Amino acid sequence: MTEPLLKISNLAVSFKIHYGQVEVVRDINLTVNKGETLGIVGESGSGKTMSMLAMARLLPPLAYISAGSIQLDGTDLLALNTAQFHQQISGKKVAMIFQEPMTALNPVYTIGRQLTETVMFHENVSQAEAVERAIEMLEAVKMPQPAQRMGQYPHQMSGGQRQRVMIAMALMNSPDLLIADEPTTALDVTVQDEIIELLIDLQKRFGMAMIFISHDLGVVSRISDRIIVMQKGDIVETGNTADVLTKPQHAYTKGLLECLWKLEEPRQTEKPDNMPPVISVKGIKKSYTLSGGLMRKSTIIEAVKTTSFEVLAGETLAIVGESGSGKSTMAKIINGLIPADQGQVFYGDVDVTSLTDKQRARIVQPIFQDPYSTLNPNHTIGYIVSRPLRIHGTVPAAEIKQKTLDVMAQAGLTEEFYHRFPNQLSGGQRQRVAIARAIILEPKILICDEPTSALDVSIQEQILDLLCQLQKDLNMTLIIISHDMAVVGYLSDRVFVMLNGEIVERGKAEQVLKSPQTDYSKKLMASVYNVPRPQNEAGAPL
Amino acid sequence: MFRFIMSRLLVVVAVALTLSVVAFFLLNLAVDPAQAIAGEEADLLEIEQIRQRYGFDRPLITRYFEWFSGVLHGDFGVSYYWNKPVGELLLERLPETITLALMSLSVTILVAIPLGCAAALNPNTFIDRMALGVAVSAQAIPNFWLGLMLIILLAVIYPIFPVSGDKTLYHFILPAIVLGASSVPPVMRLMRTGLLEVMNADYIRTARSKGYYGWRLLLRHSLRNALLPVVSVLAVQLGHKFGGSVITESVFAINGLGRLALESILGADIPTVQILVFVFAFTFLALNLLADILNAYLDPRLRT
Repeated sequence: MTEPLLKISNLAVSFKIHYGQVEVVRDINLTVNKGETLGIVGESGSGKTMSMLAMARLLPPLAYISAGSIQLDGTDLLALNTAQFHQQISGKKVAMIFQEPMTALNPVYTIGRQLTETVMFHENVSQAEAVERAIEMLEAVKMPQPAQRMGQYPHQMSGGQRQRVMIAMALMNSPDLLIADEPTTALDVTVQDEIIELLIDLQKRFGMAMIFISHDLGVVSRISDRIIVMQKGDIVETGNTADVLTKPQHAYTKGLLECLWKLEEPRQTEKPDNMPPVISVKGIKKSYTLSGGLMRKSTIIEAVKTTSFEVLAGETLAIVGESGSGKSTMAKIINGLIPADQGQVFYGDVDVTSLTDKQRARIVQPIFQDPYSTLNPNHTIGYIVSRPLRIHGTVPAAEIKQKTLDVMAQAGLTEEFYHRFPNQLSGGQRQRVAIARAIILEPKILICDEPTSALDVSIQEQILDLLCQLQKDLNMTLIIISHDMAVVGYLSDRVFVMLNGEIVERGKAEQVLKSPQTDYSKKLMASVYNVPRPQNEAGAPL
Repeated sequence: MFRFIMSRLLVVVAVALTLSVVAFFLLNLAVDPAQAIAGEEADLLEIEQIRQRYGFDRPLITRYFEWFSGVLHGDFGVSYYWNKPVGELLLERLPETITLALMSLSVTILVAIPLGCAAALNPNTFIDRMALGVAVSAQAIPNFWLGLMLIILLAVIYPIFPVSGDKTLYHFILPAIVLGASSVPPVMRLMRTGLLEVMNADYIRTARSKGYYGWRLLLRHSLRNALLPVVSVLAVQLGHKFGGSVITESVFAINGLGRLALESILGADIPTVQILVFVFAFTFLALNLLADILNAYLDPRLRT
């Protein structure tokens, strides 16, 4: 067997803290062969990014490599001094792509300059040659009008285009190893698909090795030859992609796979179609004006174009779409949080605009995306959850605490959380608090705007299960806003697909997910990476 | 870019107009110009005669428009105190002030920016603490005291520089150090925090991953971003040096606008003070405009 391109042995990364140090990554052993793609999967805080940053000497100030060795193509990387490392390795043999295309490019320099400087710096080629190469690379990453792009600045491009520029930049010196750290997480699903295909294509073309880091096992399995699973700083599983997906060894990997399988199988609950509507949306329309300031034209953005629909009692309706499709604006209008420019929203037969805020709050409650910023950090969980009761006075003062504890229990929070503060809770626990707060007034309708997208996969499933359970127990209507097809498939009875402020497809979940009619829906569904549940010889799921 | 500059210019004109009104009315309400010309011992009759001769008995509004149309035609009025046209006075004093302001700004830039960079690149180390020490002392020492100490040390004990006067550029070195020192602390601190923030930015991590490090990383990727807030503050500081150099100009006997302002105020010389207020304010506005343009040049996101 030939010598691997990259060999990391017993690597440990530690953080200096006030007294001593904490090890965040332990005993990492991995190899990457030439031309191979290694996928690293793990949740946030698993150490997957830290170990790669350590390799590229990009660790944050207080972190350092506390043990181990890193060999790249026979060179001991840890033996190089800073100057040697940056001149010989970074950008030349090892290149990186990062998660946030919006901030990873320098805002004050042109794309052209940022692309060419690396080659000129490392290889001493002339400006003209460097420009030529940069345009070739922009072509390779399928950037439209590459020559004109050279003079543009990052802020003049979309997220997907910036990520293409990042990839082109990483490839400028034909590196031996490309490290891609969650390169598609910040992008819309349809763009994510294009970038993944591009990376697979480029890797073959340039014959480089790649390390692909992601929290999304589906994406990683699509691109990788081998997979490493990390949890809390340790490697818990290593193996060929097919083996990891079909014969997971570690309980954590099995859990991750279970979540994926479960999420992709739409529920088979048949609810009667003839329920009365709880919400009727009649011809609503909303546009925003982006004010241009002095002497500049202001632009009008049509967030929601004229739309009508009904939400039936007891159903789960999912509104899916990419960022900018108008789905969140729609949710806010239905919730009565912002007024529509035109049209009306009725709860039953009551016009939303005729309700006071308090009346409305008892019918509809929202749950938002980011549980880290929606809870007041200065209040205890008990106070936060019971607050609606105090405001509305639906329960006698003496019974408030008991009622609060009951609702918290329903949301899966034990009594011990009552006196805790939000910063002592994990993301999933916080989302439970947000749910408890939303259901304590026993609303008829719950509107969840991306309820799980800030959470790790294994937590997502728990929260979705909780929402399902509560819907059944409390007989609520759920409206889920999401960009995540898996979440939608798991929860919903009916699905609306939104694009540019319009509902382009509506129908039963099963039908929209399995046989989408419009091109856009097809594209959306195709971008979901299915991890097939392994089957035994008889064809039954294991 | 043209549109951007035009829109800023409009704002400058609007603010300048407002300023001229406020300056004119406040001054004429605070001081009776006839009394000021006649002097303290004059009797009521004399004052009344002067009032009529100069037209001070007419409504303030009329006099404002008269004055303002004069200013627009380049006629800044005649100083009562110096007995010559204010325009001439300005032209005499302006070169001294401009020289002092620009030289002291150079001192500020040459000291504060490298110091701020050094501090930001070595946070919480000896270098950082030293830089902070310099900043704190420069802020704590009053201008006149620093001026006097420098004169004693570098002009009297070791006669390297002239004690005072404004004949050659050489004369301006000590005052420029004194005036420049006062602007070092804010600029240096802004440079430090700005650069610290930039060094943590994602695009700096990208630049590192491309092989940049050390001063090359600083010059090619961080400095331009970190300079954005510094440019605005430098403009304000330069404005201060134009109008606020009264003490330094007095200590070093430099005949600049600062001293002219001081003497005119003491002499209740309304025409001169009026114009000076307007000139100082306009300088501030022009410098801010310049800073905005410079920032737009440095940051393409501001250009639309």
